[in-house]
Amino acid sequence: MTAPAGDEAAASIGPATRAYKPEMPRGWWLRRRHYFLYMVREFTAVPMAAWLIWLLFEIRRAANGPKGYYPPASPAFIVFSVICLGFALYHSYTFLSLAGVIMHMKVMGKPVPPRTIIAAMFGLWLVASVVVAAVLIGFAK
Amino acid sequence: MSNDSAKRHRPALSHLFWWFLFANGGGLAALVLPVHILVQGVLGPLGVVPVVDRHYDTWINVLGNPIVKLYMLALISLAFFHFAHRLRYFLVDVGVPAARTVPAQVIFYGGAVVVTAVTIWVLLTTAPLSFG
Repeated sequence: MTAPAGDEAAASIGPATRAYKPEMPRGWWLRRRHYFLYMVREFTAVPMAAWLIWLLFEIRRAANGPKGYYPPASPAFIVFSVICLGFALYHSYTFLSLAGVIMHMKVMGKPVPPRTIIAAMFGLWLVASVVVAAVLIGFAK
Repeated sequence: MSNDSAKRHRPALSHLFWWFLFANGGGLAALVLPVHILVQGVLGPLGVVPVVDRHYDTWINVLGNPIVKLYMLALISLAFFHFAHRLRYFLVDVGVPAARTVPAQVIFYGGAVVVTAVTIWVLLTTAPLSFG
């Protein structure tokens, strides 16, 4: 998750050496599709955080008691959720794809190919989604 | 010589710690957040499927479950450590180098700690613990 500027390298430079400070022109990430998608990926944190804050409020609203509790139903809330869903899906896609690069493991002495790890991650995503949906819908009435 | 190399290879423990929270928060959110948003944010309000948070009694019943409490805490708290890390570097990338500094780290990771504390408080005070 390092910036293209390479902050890892910058952090390890001692006081004896002069730090190289790369200049990034404003709007550098608008120049190429790849840079833009990188920034979209980093930005997914904002709508996802917003939705989780909403979830925390939704939990807290149950403290109002049976008379004071109203489930969310406004069109604005649904639109908000759809937008957040788009960003959350992009986060899932990019993050789980990265697992093939980050994770290195061996099974019976042989390294597992990244493709297998990515496939396992997407399989896990499917299983987790089915389980969560089953709980959210199954315990409803 | 050996001293030098020992110094150079000292692991960045604080970095490891934050990165561990970052990676796990990102992973957990990647696995379960889309389905939460789809079911609770879209399908439930549209009335496509019955959802547990559409009625007070089913929602409070689920929230009383200790496993659900732990799950909600892990999901919200870890995700916010992930967001703190990402937003800090996002700001660096759009041209706010101050986001790299220690005060910025205190604000961002401190914010995630605050969200964690609030989440614990909400989970402990909203629904009484029940095992049913």
